[in-house]
Amino acid sequence: MNAIFEDVPYYPLVFVVFWGAVVVFGLAMARHLRVFAATRAAGPSPFEDVRARFAGLIQYAFVQTKMFKDPRAAILHLGIFWGFILLTIGTANVVTGGLVQQVLSAPFGGVLWAAILAMQNVVAVTVIAFILWAFERRLISRPARLTYNLDALLILGMIGTLVAAEFFAQAFEIARYGAQPGAFITSAIAQPLGGIGGLSRAGLETGFAILWWLHMLIVAAFLVYLPGSKHLHIATSFFNIYFRKLKPRGELPAMDLEAEDATFGLRTLADLGWNDLLDGFTCTECGRCQQACPAWNTGKPLNPKQFIMGIRDMSVEAEHGLPLIPNSPSAASFGLTDVINQAAMLSPIVDNAIPYDAVWDCVTCGACVEACPVLIEHVDKIVGLRRNLVLEDSRFPTELNGAFRNMEGVGNPWGQPPTTRTDWTKGLAFEIPLVADVAARGELGSLDVLYWVGCAAAFDERNRKVARAFATCLDAAGINFAILGQEESCTGDPARRMGNDYVFQMLASGNIETLNRYRMGERTIVTACPHCFNSIGNEYGQLGGNFRVIHHAAFLRELLANGRLRVVDADAGANGAGGTGRSVTLHDSCYLTRYNGIVDQPREVLGSIAGLELREMDNRGKNTFCCGAGGGRMWMEETRGTRINEARTSQALATGASTVATECPFCMTMLKDGLEAAQSGTGGTVKAIDIAELLAESLAPTQPGSRALPVLQ
Amino acid sequence: MPLRIVVLTKPVPDPAAAAERLGADGRLDRAASPAVINGNDEYTLEASLKLVEAHGGEVTLLSMAPPSGLETMRKGLAMGAHRGVLVTDPALAGSDQGSTIQVLAAALRGLEYDLVLAGFDTSDGVGGVVGAAIASLLKLPYLSSAAKIEPDPDAGTVRVRRISPTGFDLLEAPMPALIVGTQLLGEPRYPSLKGIMAARSKEVVTKSLADLELDAKVVGGAASRSKVTGTTKPPARGATTVVRGTPEEGAKAIADLLASRRLI
Repeated sequence: MNAIFEDVPYYPLVFVVFWGAVVVFGLAMARHLRVFAATRAAGPSPFEDVRARFAGLIQYAFVQTKMFKDPRAAILHLGIFWGFILLTIGTANVVTGGLVQQVLSAPFGGVLWAAILAMQNVVAVTVIAFILWAFERRLISRPARLTYNLDALLILGMIGTLVAAEFFAQAFEIARYGAQPGAFITSAIAQPLGGIGGLSRAGLETGFAILWWLHMLIVAAFLVYLPGSKHLHIATSFFNIYFRKLKPRGELPAMDLEAEDATFGLRTLADLGWNDLLDGFTCTECGRCQQACPAWNTGKPLNPKQFIMGIRDMSVEAEHGLPLIPNSPSAASFGLTDVINQAAMLSPIVDNAIPYDAVWDCVTCGACVEACPVLIEHVDKIVGLRRNLVLEDSRFPTELNGAFRNMEGVGNPWGQPPTTRTDWTKGLAFEIPLVADVAARGELGSLDVLYWVGCAAAFDERNRKVARAFATCLDAAGINFAILGQEESCTGDPARRMGNDYVFQMLASGNIETLNRYRMGERTIVTACPHCFNSIGNEYGQLGGNFRVIHHAAFLRELLANGRLRVVDADAGANGAGGTGRSVTLHDSCYLTRYNGIVDQPREVLGSIAGLELREMDNRGKNTFCCGAGGGRMWMEETRGTRINEARTSQALATGASTVATECPFCMTMLKDGLEAAQSGTGGTVKAIDIAELLAESLAPTQPGSRALPVLQ
Repeated sequence: MPLRIVVLTKPVPDPAAAAERLGADGRLDRAASPAVINGNDEYTLEASLKLVEAHGGEVTLLSMAPPSGLETMRKGLAMGAHRGVLVTDPALAGSDQGSTIQVLAAALRGLEYDLVLAGFDTSDGVGGVVGAAIASLLKLPYLSSAAKIEPDPDAGTVRVRRISPTGFDLLEAPMPALIVGTQLLGEPRYPSLKGIMAARSKEVVTKSLADLELDAKVVGGAASRSKVTGTTKPPARGATTVVRGTPEEGAKAIADLLASRRLI
């Protein structure tokens, strides 16, 4: 026993109280892990991509970059987080019998330890202030995204009392037993405490003893309480961030459809991976996902936060009845068994952690994933649930029956005859060759790009005009391109997002075979559809198809940057289209921004158009708000709540822009409908126009290699 | 008492593909278009699956088709039918409805069943007589235009709600009986992946004309009494007239239009 804590009455009890609490904490965590171990799906390996995983740990756990989407909350949280860590030095000193102090007092004649005490003084005051601020948020300003329960208040109360007790105990200690170099704030408080008119020696001793032990008991209580609290994230978030999904966010988990006796998709807790349960135990109920979710924002039953909380609740239910100490004889006498609650483990997730309707409300826009500061993955799980409902139970909104049959039967969700796939090219001033013809002439090598048209641009009346505009741009730039024509089919993206991986794999395998037949692995594929782009680029690899694919936003930007496309000058005005002073707001596609990080390219395309004024919406870039068509919602009726496309339309109209620029055929359809509905009878003339159309009508009339003046519509 | 149901299913060109084409011989070019189960047959198949789910029993699919019909039949087996019988024979190419009826009736004679279900008509031939003709050949009670099918296996009877211009007729007949269904029977189900996988190993019995003890001189393409003598495309639809204005103006414009065509 050393002399450092000689003033603390019954100091040795610390070892029993603290280390006892540590054991209880460890056993409770081990009980969580027993449920983790009972899950079937393989989780991520800790030894792969170690560098990226540690880099993420620094970025997301220690700097907490994701928190800064809400800067006030970020400062509040970062203050408490770092304060708590620095104050832990003091706690570590207490529970090691002063070991930390002994070591840190040695160098520089004790200056280091004095500096730590000074810093801890500052930090303690900060943390107490921030805790009061946090109480204010929970009790007075009450942001809607938070979950209000006793748990959160209890935790805040514990942290606040803990820090305050430690802080004031030090003041009493200094007043009674003498100066501690460095502790300048507590020393200042100690002055009046022990000075004239202050407390007696006995009073100071009692005050110190009570405060010191209060602080220590709260530390112990905190450890015992934590494993059952939402605040457990202080332990789990590091792991959740380390084990985060490192694959492209747009790549849904691969699926073996030939697996014998497998459960397809996710049905029960047991079908999840341990990392999914870790998601549940990491959720702090902050509600950033809920705040960002377009379904929740339009009054639908889907709440991503409650889904993740529901997973945790199911997981806790599964360990119900497990004793803290495994195989303990005394537990048996209380009727506890060492068996995981199989009923909870095997009860379905749907209608337990998430309502059936909510599973279908998801637009897979990824706003929740983007918003989550601790990198919880919601979308993959929701699609997993859909997979099970579709592949095992054939249980899905009836409208999907047609979409599935159409994709399976004629290779496009619209159910249009494949023979009409090239109808959009009719009347263009130039010929678009079919890849098959190019190959027959042996000229595949001279092809710059393959234009993957996509079903929407091939069959939907409005989007055919986008295809014509984009082809016009390609032609004007002198790009040697071709299309697959009837050999192209749906990439399978809608089927996959609706949970029908059988149809996805069927369509994807067919497309991969076609693309490989024309050796497209050696060429570049360009598409104006973010969903085709994501599927071909991020998902076809799972089925052995590796292609370089570029979205038209990025490709057009490239053509402008290297001078192959030129737009009319504002002053020239001869063409007249370019310099009309059009004001435009850009609606970002989820599958471009959040899923594939394409944010600046479309803006650069718009920026190249003379006289165009960009008026941004609040929800833009990676914080974009879905049009409502993702995740196969394009083919479902929107019966619950208000319409997502109308919510997004009003955001766009609020900018006062005369044009809503789009970069995705589904967004185009949804915003076109939204604008028509919002402006019906008002005489409003705001229209949705694709960036390729805006560019095509601004192209300079004399283009090198162009065979015709650009035409639009 | 479990039910034994035979459902007549015909592979037809997928109407969604719109690639239906006749060859030079006036026969359907089956290579031009992917085949699917005739839409109306899917409704009777759905009804039969629901019946055996409720009463127990087995659903057998019966088709007369080229060998490729086996693949189409797998889709019905994936929906949940238990087994299939495919009558296929090169001599059957070009069969008319008369031949089809003879062949299917002969195949049914070799099967045990309580109910035979047929779709309202087929989307390729659009004849709509096969069900009725088989019933009369086999002397089975014929219950047509069924919106609802309620068998009582213990009593050995079946009740059918037949749609009529004024509502429903309630028909009852002893089993075995032949029922022609309508789409009111309910949306056909979408096969689950387990169903698709299970269908791969389900039994499909293939029968030739010889197996059915039928003579190619009596049935099949050579014996068909109806022939396609020529085809013409339907005329393209005329331009659409859109009437705009107040309801009163609209009503007047429509009335004038109809009057000008002497329709009212």
